[in-house]
Amino acid sequence: MTTVVAFNVAREPAAARILADGSVIWPTRKLPPAEDDHAALSAAVVLADGGELVGVTLGQGDPVWAAARGTTRVLRISDVVVGDDDSATAAALAAAVAEVDGADLVVLGDSEHHPGLAPALAGHLGWPCVLAAAAAARVGEGVEVTRRIGGVEETISARLPVVIAIVAEGEETSPPGMKTMLTARRLPVHDLVATDLALEPVPPLEPVQTRPPSSAAARLFDGDPQQAVGELIKALRSEGVL
Amino acid sequence: MGEDWLVVTDSQDVGALSRLLPDAPVTAMVIGDRALAESAAVAGVAVVHWIEPDEGVPAEAYAGAAAASILASSPRLVAATALGPASRAVLGALAAGCGATLLSGVTAVRDAGDRVEVTGGAAGGDVVATYAVPWPLCALVVPSDDVPAPDPSVLVAPLAATDSPVRVTARRVSQPSGLADAARVVGVGRGLRSKADLDLVRGLADRLGAELACSMPLADDLGWLPRDRFLGRSGQQISPRLYLAVGLSGAPQHLQGVRGAKVIVGINSDPGAGIFRASDYGIVGDLYEIVPALTEALARG
Ligand SMILES: Cc1cc2nc3c(=O)[nH]c(=O)nc-3n(C[C@H](O)[C@H](O)[C@H](O)COP(=O)(O)OP(=O)(O)OC[C@H]3O[C@@H](n4cnc5c(N)ncnc54)[C@H](O)[C@@H]3O)c2cc1C
Repeated sequence: MTTVVAFNVAREPAAARILADGSVIWPTRKLPPAEDDHAALSAAVVLADGGELVGVTLGQGDPVWAAARGTTRVLRISDVVVGDDDSATAAALAAAVAEVDGADLVVLGDSEHHPGLAPALAGHLGWPCVLAAAAAARVGEGVEVTRRIGGVEETISARLPVVIAIVAEGEETSPPGMKTMLTARRLPVHDLVATDLALEPVPPLEPVQTRPPSSAAARLFDGDPQQAVGELIKALRSEGVL
Repeated sequence: MGEDWLVVTDSQDVGALSRLLPDAPVTAMVIGDRALAESAAVAGVAVVHWIEPDEGVPAEAYAGAAAASILASSPRLVAATALGPASRAVLGALAAGCGATLLSGVTAVRDAGDRVEVTGGAAGGDVVATYAVPWPLCALVVPSDDVPAPDPSVLVAPLAATDSPVRVTARRVSQPSGLADAARVVGVGRGLRSKADLDLVRGLADRLGAELACSMPLADDLGWLPRDRFLGRSGQQISPRLYLAVGLSGAPQHLQGVRGAKVIVGINSDPGAGIFRASDYGIVGDLYEIVPALTEALARG
């Protein structure tokens, strides 16, 4: 019965540098934590319930970030990085999870930008998944998950093993302090390479071509407020929305 | 090469059909009630396979069963939207099961012989990307409003539901706030200086016959409006005909709540505000000048 948390495995668009010709440059060395990672980490700490919490990540993951938030050790596949094929990323993560003895619960962020990642991880593990979760707790032999989809709040009970994908509701409210970060540097990191896990060392999937979107920019009215609102009203009337 | 499939777990999923290869007849896999299964019986669909979840079992618990059934046809292309968790769960299980590439944000696919050319948004939609990958492909496609013509001759074939390790033990439907069905919505953000100034924006909303909504910080941090009034990824998701965003920066998380709006208008003093990139129209200016001017102009008719 070991809880695993996958972190730093989704690319946030905010981390990308987009050039005028539409080419995209992603950070190569370190990915900033994904938007939902902090919520996944806190949910995983609750689920680990004082027991071992193993972090898994890929080459651009920052083990210290996770260790400062409650992982007891981290396993990193150092030569695999995140690309756009969520199933390829998930395959590597599943191989890392398989290295963790007794792993029966995997928690990760349900990334808006990698919506296939958590379900593909479940697929590669052959486990069911509960996606779009807000919170989770261990109840008896299983877990209880709450989530809100549209206007419906659901409580779901799941038997283990299961993958739970967590959605953050906002920014991290109380990030760890300097002292915790320093202590976290001492926690163990186990670096593996793809071939240790019998994974094919394929490069991450990237587009063969990118370009800026062709969507027309907003029609902006500025200058004299009276004139601007007059023009706006005229435009909205012609759209038929007034 | 095998079949092309469409996974349907949400009423808007059928529109994804238009993103598929136009000439290939697709097979639909539906997880949901009878009405959903019947909605998938449309032109372009050859057969609808239908799993009806047992009471209290979430649709995504059938992902494995649906995937196994699709895998038996050695699929070439499986498409779904990322709207509901169940469609994602099916595509995840499938991609793992057949070694398919799994891409999201897909807007078009093109058969290029032994490969498939996939187009879609990357880096949060800030660029249009093209990928060339081998078949099979699992594509999470961008929802579309297209509703293909119903075809009552399409066979709806039920599949047996299996036992599930995942169950819904409680469901609570929140009271509708009036936002969900509103034709016009005015959203206000942190550009507003004080709670009392909400009256200014409320006056505009009343004049427009619009509901009042806000960004997350206005409800969460400031508590100026109830939490069921904030829009976005963590709040309400709406599809009004008109969304007017006032003093609101247009963070991606906020915009996720208004993606379905027909016309978006931004009012912001910063010409570089993100809201203008998502808007159809905008006024660059101080809301304390623009909002009263707009309210008055509307009153004059
Ligand atoms: C995981 C996560 C989930 C989130 N979910 C949501 C969500 O569901 N919904 C949501 O709304 N946010 C959400 N957020 C927060 C989001 O990232 C933004 O911080 C938030 O939306 C900003 O709110 P705002 O636009 O009101 O404020 P700001 O970003 O501060 O923008 C205020 C704007 O007002 C303009 N302004 C200032 N004065 C004037 C004036 N006098 N006249 C005109 N314009 C003026 C400024 O130029 C600025 O653009 C989430 C964040 C995270 C990390």
